[in-house]
Amino acid sequence: MKTFKVILGFSILIGFQLAGMGLHKVGVPLPAGVLGLLLFTTALAIEIVKVEWVETTADFLVRHMLLLFIPLMAGLTQMSAELRRDGVALLASLIASLIAVLLTTGGLAHFLLRDVVPAAATEPEDK
Amino acid sequence: MRALTEVFNSPAFAIGMTLVLYWASLRVQKRYMWASPLVTASLALVLLLYVLRIPYADYRIGGNVFTYLLGPATVALGVPMYKQGIKLKGSLRRLLVVVLAGSIVGMFTAGIVAWLFGASHEVIMSTLPKSVTTPIAIQVSAELHGNPAITAAMVLVTGVLGSIVGPSVLRMSHIFHDNAHGAAIGTSSHAVGTASLLRTSEVQGSVSSLAMAMAGVITSILAMLLTWYWH
Repeated sequence: MKTFKVILGFSILIGFQLAGMGLHKVGVPLPAGVLGLLLFTTALAIEIVKVEWVETTADFLVRHMLLLFIPLMAGLTQMSAELRRDGVALLASLIASLIAVLLTTGGLAHFLLRDVVPAAATEPEDK
Repeated sequence: MRALTEVFNSPAFAIGMTLVLYWASLRVQKRYMWASPLVTASLALVLLLYVLRIPYADYRIGGNVFTYLLGPATVALGVPMYKQGIKLKGSLRRLLVVVLAGSIVGMFTAGIVAWLFGASHEVIMSTLPKSVTTPIAIQVSAELHGNPAITAAMVLVTGVLGSIVGPSVLRMSHIFHDNAHGAAIGTSSHAVGTASLLRTSEVQGSVSSLAMAMAGVITSILAMLLTWYWH
C-alpha cells in the first residue's frame, strides 16, 4: 500500500511538473517550476488532488531536498574561473542582500505575525 | 587498475557515493549541530572525486539523477504550502506582505551592490533571483538574460550562509518569534535554510517552507515585470 502511495504521489508530482512545462512553452511568462507549483497548490486547495495521495512522496522530497543539491554544490569547484572574475562583486552583493532580506522580513514579521499562534501550538505536528 | 577506474567513473558509483556521503553528513550533524549537511557532504565529495581521480563530468552523469529530482521536489513544495496555508489561514495576507517586502528588498540590494562593484549587466541580472530555490532561480535567471551558472552558485552560497548565520543575525537584532525566524530564513535562504530549520524547530521550518514557496513565486513574477519594463 505504501509502495503504491509513493508511486502515485510521484506520478502526480511529475504530472504537474510537465503541466507547468507545457504552460510555459505555450507562452505563460513564469518559470515552468513555478507554474507547476501553482497548479499543484491550486489542485490541493480545490481538492482535485487529495493531500493524502501525495504527502508521503512530497514530504520525503522536501525533507531530503539538501541531498538533491549535493551534485550542484560540488560542481561549484568547476566554475572557479567565472566566479573569480566577479568574485568580489558577487560576494558583496550576496552578503548585503542576505542581511537586508533577513532584517526586512524578520523585522516586519516580528510586528505583523507575532500575535499569530505558531502552527504547532494549535495541533501537534504530524511526523 | 583500469577496471577499478571504470567502476569509479560509472553513474552507479556516483549515485551510491552521493547517497552514502549524504547519510554520513546527517550523522555528523547529529553530533555537531553547526555542520550543515550540504557543506559537509559536498566538501567530502569534492575530496573523494579528487582522491579517486574521477572527472567531475563523469560524476555528473550519475549525479544528474539528483538534479533532475529537483523538478518534482519543487512541485512538492505545494504540500507544505497547502498545509501551512490552512493553519495560518487568517494571517496569510500578512505573511504575503512580509515575504513580498523581503523579496523586493533582496532583489534590489543584490542588483545595486553588484552594480556598485562594477559588475556587468549579465552578472547583475544573475544576482537578482539569488534568494529563491535553485530550480526556480535558474529559470528566472535565464528569463532575465543572466548567467544561470552564476545564479546557481549565488543561490547555494546564500542558502548555506543564511542557514548558518541567519538565526544569529536575527537574534542579535532582537527578533525571536518562531514566525519571524521562519519567514526570514524561508525568504532569504530557500530550501537549504528551511531544511536546517526543520531539524531544530518544526514550527519555524513549516513557516519557512511556506515563505520560501511564496518567495519563489513572487520573485519570478517580479522578474517577469522587470523584463516587461525593459522591453
